Amino acid sequence: MSARTRSLAAMAAASGLLLTACGGDSSDGAASDQPIKIGIIADLTGATGDVGAPYNDGMKAYIDWRNSDGGIEGRQIEALSNDYAYEVPKAESLYKQYLNDEVVAIQGWGTGDTEALSASVGNDELPFMSGSFAEPLTNPEEAPYNFVVAPTYSDQMRVALNWIAEDSGGKGEVAVFHNDSPFGTAPVEDGKNWISEKKLDLGYEAYAMPGGKQNYVGLLSQAKSQGAKYIVIQNVASPAALVAKDIAAQKLDMKIVCLNWCANELFIDSAGPKVAEGHLLIQPFAPMSADKEGHKVIKDYIKDKGIDEKEIGTSWVQGWYAMDVMAGGIEQTLKDGDDLTGANIRKALETMGGQDTGGVVGDGTVEFTAESHRGSSATGIYEAKGGKMVEVKAGATP
Amino acid sequence: MAATATGIHHRTYVSELRLRATRSEYFRLGLLTVLLLVLPFVLDNYWLSQVNLILIAVIGAVGLNILVGYTGQISLGQGGFMAVGAYSSAIFADRIGLPTPLAIIGAVLLSAAVGTFFGLPGLRLKGLYLAIATLASQMIIEFVIRRWTWLTEGQGYLNVDRFEVFGFKVGARAVFEQQWYWILLILAALTVISARNLFRTGLGRSFMAVRDQDIAAEAIGVNVARVKLTAFAISSGFVGLAGALTAHYSEVVSWEKFTLDVSILYLAMIIVGGLGSIAGAVYGAIFMTLLPEVIRQVANAMSSSVPFLTDQLPAVRNATFGLVIILFLIIEPRGLDRIWQRMKEYIRFWPFRY
Repeated sequence: MSARTRSLAAMAAASGLLLTACGGDSSDGAASDQPIKIGIIADLTGATGDVGAPYNDGMKAYIDWRNSDGGIEGRQIEALSNDYAYEVPKAESLYKQYLNDEVVAIQGWGTGDTEALSASVGNDELPFMSGSFAEPLTNPEEAPYNFVVAPTYSDQMRVALNWIAEDSGGKGEVAVFHNDSPFGTAPVEDGKNWISEKKLDLGYEAYAMPGGKQNYVGLLSQAKSQGAKYIVIQNVASPAALVAKDIAAQKLDMKIVCLNWCANELFIDSAGPKVAEGHLLIQPFAPMSADKEGHKVIKDYIKDKGIDEKEIGTSWVQGWYAMDVMAGGIEQTLKDGDDLTGANIRKALETMGGQDTGGVVGDGTVEFTAESHRGSSATGIYEAKGGKMVEVKAGATP
Repeated sequence: MAATATGIHHRTYVSELRLRATRSEYFRLGLLTVLLLVLPFVLDNYWLSQVNLILIAVIGAVGLNILVGYTGQISLGQGGFMAVGAYSSAIFADRIGLPTPLAIIGAVLLSAAVGTFFGLPGLRLKGLYLAIATLASQMIIEFVIRRWTWLTEGQGYLNVDRFEVFGFKVGARAVFEQQWYWILLILAALTVISARNLFRTGLGRSFMAVRDQDIAAEAIGVNVARVKLTAFAISSGFVGLAGALTAHYSEVVSWEKFTLDVSILYLAMIIVGGLGSIAGAVYGAIFMTLLPEVIRQVANAMSSSVPFLTDQLPAVRNATFGLVIILFLIIEPRGLDRIWQRMKEYIRFWPFRY
């Protein structure tokens, strides 16, 4: 009897689920005076959640600030933010949902999902910015609706290699440790080509970093037998900090050059200031400690909200300014008197000229054209000193 | 065979072989047909996209069930075989320039061939050992699609052109899901019908003979080696079709969609739905595709009272997945299909217990 009851209950539950699956609403996000809907595909709990969560917080903070400031041309922004845990199929499902909710633009996150969605956003005419700075996304012929706010991973790699060539006195061995995903491999090939193109006298080997490792001693011993003195890391902060700890523990004479997603305070804090000391950070977004003009608005905002400035990492600033650039395009579209459609936002972003970010992104200006969606090619170089990111060079270009 | 209704007596083999014997079975079929015809007009685009994913999953799950449920050959290579279908179809269509239907047929044949090749260990191995051998096939195919850069021309992923068949091209976003629904519905229906009929033939019955007792099957004249390889071929063919459709529907192919997780998800589908049942594969595909969606909706609805659910959504989702599989294994190992049958029997015999 009980088995029958159970099975009945299960069916009842299943039909209940089916019923909730029906229904849904549709509203026109493009109509005037309606809130402007922007979809956010965020990694809060996945493999890159350590930097993905603050990035998402930064974007939401920007929207909060902008809305309390009167919105964009008097219209409020409505952000739909959902976690996809760095899993491409979930990102695709979220994308379909946002499409159905009639968002006008999307802020994505990882390289894998941004590339996976680039054809769809092209067909659906939705401007798409993301935390991924992979080179192919800057080419409007291949990815017409993708916009890359910062210098690409490849450009950052080129800057890193130039710096290494200089620092080593012209001859050195470079080991590239990268995340084992499209994000990780994005700059590897371009770095190799850069060395042969510029005839740099650098050895160059790439190693994939397996996820979920407790230490990277094995990888480091491979790099050691290669004779590497420089480890370029294309990964997020937590695994990079592990590498730094292992280098210190093994007393190896190696310098880490962190690209973008591990070039932040989180890397220094998780490794510990002592261990991180002297390692190099390639970061196109100026950290709060650099105190650029563009940080003022953030400082005022967090003072209002009672947030400690120490909690605001570079990833947070990245999110803020990625959203700022997108909002700039939307504002321009409205100013032009155009309908708020993806195609018009794209046109505005391509034709509005440079957007000033107060010295925060690259050399300060982010500019897209119809030929190139590379927002900037300049990046800052920082050194970990006394637990802080200290600027070595601002606006370095390949 | 489950009891049919009172008063149904089969006097000929033809009538016994019929898929449907009672009027209520025809009535349910009619009801289902109406539901499927109405669906695209009542659902919004998002839910329709979920339905489309279900239809693709149905094809893949039916394919896997032919191998695992009907022939008893455990396979962890589902994701890999889907990848073969997806990559080959995308390359045939976009790079070689074959018409899409031909590309898909080519992808199905290639997946069947690859599946047969990786099925070879099945001639010597059974049970868990075969599971490990197919796990190896998953790993090998995953390695190939990740590291052979010529497959994607160094890009790491493949863009697929919009689906086009006999001059008809799937339209823009307003009608995209709806048009895909019809394409996928037809293919899923054909898959279900052909798989259902497969097991009314001698070949299909020899699959089940091998599953139930391979030595006995050999003794009554079944060529076990050939049957096992045929099962791998047919199963991988359907799975390859699901992979090819994934490629054309989502318009991008990247290795991240064909990991071991996918293999396990499909195994979960047929376990939850019911091993050795075509209908079970369909129920499982529906259940496992909608489950994460339902969990998300519930978590969002309860986000104010239980914020933990939304904060840790992926973890909650994984935990629920695990829980569901365990519960099914304990409460009803024969899955949703058996639950549905028992419900029908309960109603049919009511108010009597037997």
